[in-house]
Amino acid sequence: MPQMSYIDELVSAIGKEKVLQDPSEKFVYGADWSPRTPQEFVPPDVVVLPRTTRDVQRIIKIAFEHDIPVVAGGGLTGMLGGAVPIHGGIYVDTTTMNSVIEVDAKNQTVRVQAGATLQEVNDAVHPYDLWLPHQPESKWVSTVGSAIACDNDSTFGVRYGKILNCLLSAELVTGTGEILELGHRKAHFTSSGYKLKDLLAGSEGTLGIITEATLKLEPIPATRQVDMLVFPRMGAAVDYLSRLLKAGLCIEAAHINCKRRLNFYTHSYRQKYGKDPEIPAWAEALLAIAFAGDSEVVESQRGYALKIAKEFEAQLVEEREIVEAWWASKYTLEFEPFKQKWPDSQTKKKFGAADPGVPVGRLEEFYHKFISVAEKHNLEIIGMNAYLEHPNSIGFSLSCAVFVDYRNADEVKRFREFHDELSKLAVAFEGTMSTFMSDTYQKAPYLEIEHGASLKYMREVKRLFDPKGIMNPGKKFPREALK
Amino acid sequence: MTSKLEEFKDELETCFGTSCGFCERGCPVYQSMKVKTLCMKGRNRTMLGLIQGKFEISPAVVQAAFECTLCGNCDRWCSLKNTEHTRAFREYLLRHGVEPMKEHSSILASIKSYGNPWFQPRSARNRWTKGMNIPKSAPGKQEVIFFAGCTSAVTKQLNKGLVASAKLLQKAGIDFATMGQDEPCCGSTLLRVGQTQAFKELSEENVRKFKALGVKKIVTACPGCYTTLKKVMEDSGTKIDVVHISKEIARLVREGKIKVTKTSERVTYHDPCHLGRLGGVFDEPREIVDAVAKFVEMPNNRYEARCCGAGAGLQSAFPKLSKDLAAKRVAEAKSTGATTIVTSCPFCETQLRTVPGMKVVDLMELLLDATEGNGKNNNTKSAG
Repeated sequence: MPQMSYIDELVSAIGKEKVLQDPSEKFVYGADWSPRTPQEFVPPDVVVLPRTTRDVQRIIKIAFEHDIPVVAGGGLTGMLGGAVPIHGGIYVDTTTMNSVIEVDAKNQTVRVQAGATLQEVNDAVHPYDLWLPHQPESKWVSTVGSAIACDNDSTFGVRYGKILNCLLSAELVTGTGEILELGHRKAHFTSSGYKLKDLLAGSEGTLGIITEATLKLEPIPATRQVDMLVFPRMGAAVDYLSRLLKAGLCIEAAHINCKRRLNFYTHSYRQKYGKDPEIPAWAEALLAIAFAGDSEVVESQRGYALKIAKEFEAQLVEEREIVEAWWASKYTLEFEPFKQKWPDSQTKKKFGAADPGVPVGRLEEFYHKFISVAEKHNLEIIGMNAYLEHPNSIGFSLSCAVFVDYRNADEVKRFREFHDELSKLAVAFEGTMSTFMSDTYQKAPYLEIEHGASLKYMREVKRLFDPKGIMNPGKKFPREALK
Repeated sequence: MTSKLEEFKDELETCFGTSCGFCERGCPVYQSMKVKTLCMKGRNRTMLGLIQGKFEISPAVVQAAFECTLCGNCDRWCSLKNTEHTRAFREYLLRHGVEPMKEHSSILASIKSYGNPWFQPRSARNRWTKGMNIPKSAPGKQEVIFFAGCTSAVTKQLNKGLVASAKLLQKAGIDFATMGQDEPCCGSTLLRVGQTQAFKELSEENVRKFKALGVKKIVTACPGCYTTLKKVMEDSGTKIDVVHISKEIARLVREGKIKVTKTSERVTYHDPCHLGRLGGVFDEPREIVDAVAKFVEMPNNRYEARCCGAGAGLQSAFPKLSKDLAAKRVAEAKSTGATTIVTSCPFCETQLRTVPGMKVVDLMELLLDATEGNGKNNNTKSAG
């Protein structure tokens, strides 16, 4: 009897309807938001649509047996190729696993299948007056599993942190097909054992596939007030935020945009008024800041924040339309029908970014480096965003963004050089190469610059979970490095 | 010759490069199936791969093209012309040797032979007007035509909405005519299933007919006819105004030409895709419902209203999926605590009625029932 191919085994193990083999179907699952030339595009060899953890286990066991790469993905909105298969193999679309398993309103937790989008989770918990505050702009499409695996950013990081701050427990199917529960069930924290659950944040599917997660929720604030202030320097905005935290204010969101970057977010303003927003010529930094809670508390905190602002050469943006256009674009994603920002700003070129983190005191210095590196590589600059992403503290993630035409191989090459240079520079600044996109294939060749000798331990961790190196090969570590 | 689809290549590449996937959330088919080839992002990719020669036409490609209601929800979240891409995709496939789905080719055959998509004799169009004393249009006689639309005219269960529409126009003293059995098909269905050439020929003939009658305004109760005829009239350069009945009647209510009484019944309104998202008519139907009942909104409404699943040939070619979408919409309506769903589209009405548990009523029936002097209305009576 001829031996079954691994694809035949997949069909027999999980059912024909959950296995997509047509070339047109595979083509659809091969790309995300990352700038890659059409020549670099490698569709997976087969796409599977599991419904349960058992399905995922069956898939990985077959892959393990046949030594086939397994790449898990969610919304495919990654900006650096974390979930795209670069060595072919099996693409596991986790979005078919999107059930909300249990809402424990008293404990303020929810258990979900990891393919649920962040918005689906929020739709399910909204009736309990709760929400999941991990909110990247891709929340409608980004799944719980991919938010964990990519460790992406959140609009409300300064109050609630990122996904790891919400993650209590997660179910993982390892690279051998073993099912593990990592974490502390419904307890909000633990002092027991090694915190293996934390390994999952930014793991990019290289340790296994996250199939379920227990997430901590927060009560929905009654009101929210968003304001924008302009500063003559980025450093002044940083000092101001530091002062607000010292004052004891509870900031819900804080984003510093350089002047160029604001334009990327104010399409709806331009659509409505037919002009660019009027920002004073001296302003170099724009801080968007939100307070949320009961209206009296919000009013009082906002009032105090605006009072202090004068000490930092800041000026309140009085034109509410700019603030609202920015917020609508950034958070509510509500815009004029048929005229919104995605992807009208990107019809010719796409958004490409480096995502370093640098010490707070060197933000301004790094900003100027970003501009000069982008200019050196002859890239059109979108600008820089600094998001406060750590609860009640001044830690930033940086988005250093440029336009890239993915159809232009030379421009993609220049973008990569730009990205790598900034990443390495961030380490030289005593910072980190990545704050919301993870390492993917892009940073894999030079991860040692950041991690030094500890990279060896990371490889061993990877080997423990994925001894054959089949889980998302080429990400974090070049594929050969594990062989 | 460059196909319409190839003209969209730049847009398809933009979508491929951007990959935001905002179209997924409101796509009724994707949300039901969770297969990325069936949401707009995936469909745009499939089109791009096809014209780039990455793969050949296959059953999966055909499925990606036709398993869509063209409800336009994806266009709500994107500046690309997604529904136009999909129509061009269907046309491309038919031009490249794909046989029309048998359900769709029968629609074409029926329109050719009977002037409607449902294999009903032309005389069936006369049924609903019996005893109503509505004049038949003749050249130069009436400036306003009430255009019934094939589906409501030849389907007995849907006649009530037409009767209500005509009675309300009569009550308000509007001088109008119907075309009786000479009323043509607007061709909406042909356009949606990719039969572009047949649609073009039919539309040219229709423009000639309306011009010959000297019509100034066409009032229709069918959203599909509304968007289709409106576009055809605009494109052809005629000055004939096409108006949906809800707009016409809401104006008459506002002007006091139709007097109504209000009940306390909780009623929700389902936006037909062609009337709302694609036709831009949101307020007038709500105005009418609010005038006669306690109006409650569904969570997904107006631009974000979820499709009932009947459109663009889905009901005929993919009945199971189509019904699943209807069930989801009815469940959403139930969640509002309403007892009745009001809509203003024969397809939505029929489709939503396939799901038990809620009363489904045409907007004009609801209004007629609440008009003063109608006899049936008495503050406790509800339509149905």
